[in-house]
Amino acid sequence: MDETLGEMLARRGFGRRSLLKFAIAMTSSLALPPMIAPVMAANLAKAKRRSVIWLSFQECTGCLETLLRSSAPTIDALIFDFISLDYQESLMAAAGADAERTLHEAVAANKGEYLLAIDGSIPVKDGGVYSLTGGRSNVSMLSDIAADAKAILAIGTCAAYGGIPKAWPNPTGAVGVEDLIEGKPIVNIPGCPPVPEVLSGVLVHFISFGRLPDLDDRKRPLAYFGTTIHDQCYRRPFYDQGKFAKSFDDEGARQGWCLFELGCKGPVTHNACASLKWNGGTSFPIESGHGCIGCSEPDFWDAGGFYTSLAGGSSAGWRNTGIALGVGVAGGIAAALSGRSKAT
Amino acid sequence: MTDFGFLADDGIVDALLMEVAGLLHRLIERGEAGSIDLRGLPLSDACIATLEQRLGRGEVAVTLTAAGRSDIHETGFPGVWWTKHEDEAGRIIALLIEVAIVPGILCADVDDIKRGLDRLPGSTNFSRRAA
Repeated sequence: MDETLGEMLARRGFGRRSLLKFAIAMTSSLALPPMIAPVMAANLAKAKRRSVIWLSFQECTGCLETLLRSSAPTIDALIFDFISLDYQESLMAAAGADAERTLHEAVAANKGEYLLAIDGSIPVKDGGVYSLTGGRSNVSMLSDIAADAKAILAIGTCAAYGGIPKAWPNPTGAVGVEDLIEGKPIVNIPGCPPVPEVLSGVLVHFISFGRLPDLDDRKRPLAYFGTTIHDQCYRRPFYDQGKFAKSFDDEGARQGWCLFELGCKGPVTHNACASLKWNGGTSFPIESGHGCIGCSEPDFWDAGGFYTSLAGGSSAGWRNTGIALGVGVAGGIAAALSGRSKAT
Repeated sequence: MTDFGFLADDGIVDALLMEVAGLLHRLIERGEAGSIDLRGLPLSDACIATLEQRLGRGEVAVTLTAAGRSDIHETGFPGVWWTKHEDEAGRIIALLIEVAIVPGILCADVDDIKRGLDRLPGSTNFSRRAA
């Protein structure tokens, strides 16, 4: 199919303003300078459909569910239309040998150009026998299909870092993609499940600029994982004022005070929940009265109880340990201003 | 959800207005447009409301209907535009202060103009005469 995204949008009755508006929203989401939006829109208009091969390994299908059920605006949905999802076992109609043939045909037809999306960890213990597809181990499939991929998207905490299957005692020897694959661009989009808008942001960046967005030291998109939940949390002022809920039904909880002492892992968790939120921007767990469980961080399941504070007791003690949370609201504003306000 | 009105302090708003002044200087001296992504900043609703109020309203207000509604108005400072983009479900997807002669999204795209021309009766004849 040689049709460009711009041609497809025009055929469906969308003018170029719609694409520019989408690009403005995406540059905001990706923390790119706003004046990049016209360039992104122009590049998107010229872009052609890109093949995506999605392999599901040791997973619960929660990642796929959340991405399918994301409430995306129409243009966003069209961007997903513009991805040719050539193989996804849970969604495709084909099964058995037909499905395997589809996989091999997609790899051959898009050699070196397809994006490989992975959800689920990869068990390597005992030769990888704990998770097989079509009689082949996950580790064998990953090795083969990754070889000709342009880039790899590790979707969800399991694919990124091993996730819950890797939790102690890790009976299957589960690992993440980056533990097995070298020499390929890999982007981790952790979360249990991941925020769907992060995936669309990564895809749009790749389609627009031909490369993955800037990543942090754990291969996560910096735009979405550059700050902690705590940094962006609307309850942060209460933390700064020393106002903490002591139980889930006390006066502090009813007043919306900080959930740190109830086990919130926001101060050490990097994700975009507090800014992008969930269910079409409705809310996120802390807004619903529950602390962050840190699901986008490696080994979160074994990082202490969800209801045990990071201080092991009180926030005051924790703050006195010298762990730096940043420079406060004023410093955050100044830093954000310098990054967000750009002229051409 | 609690609205933290106490965060609408003038210091933050003053910092943003200084940023706007810098962008206006750049527009005047170099002709370069610029913008500030308000949703990318940790601003409370009260802070954004204060900022909008201090910028005021100018002579131009535009409603755009493209993949959802957009409201764009010139503030009380010529060349400074307050732009709010919504998706088709009415959710805000971008909130910007734009500093420009005219926000780029208001300008018609050449390819869209050509497609529109093709729909006009007699456009083929005109093309033939022009050729």
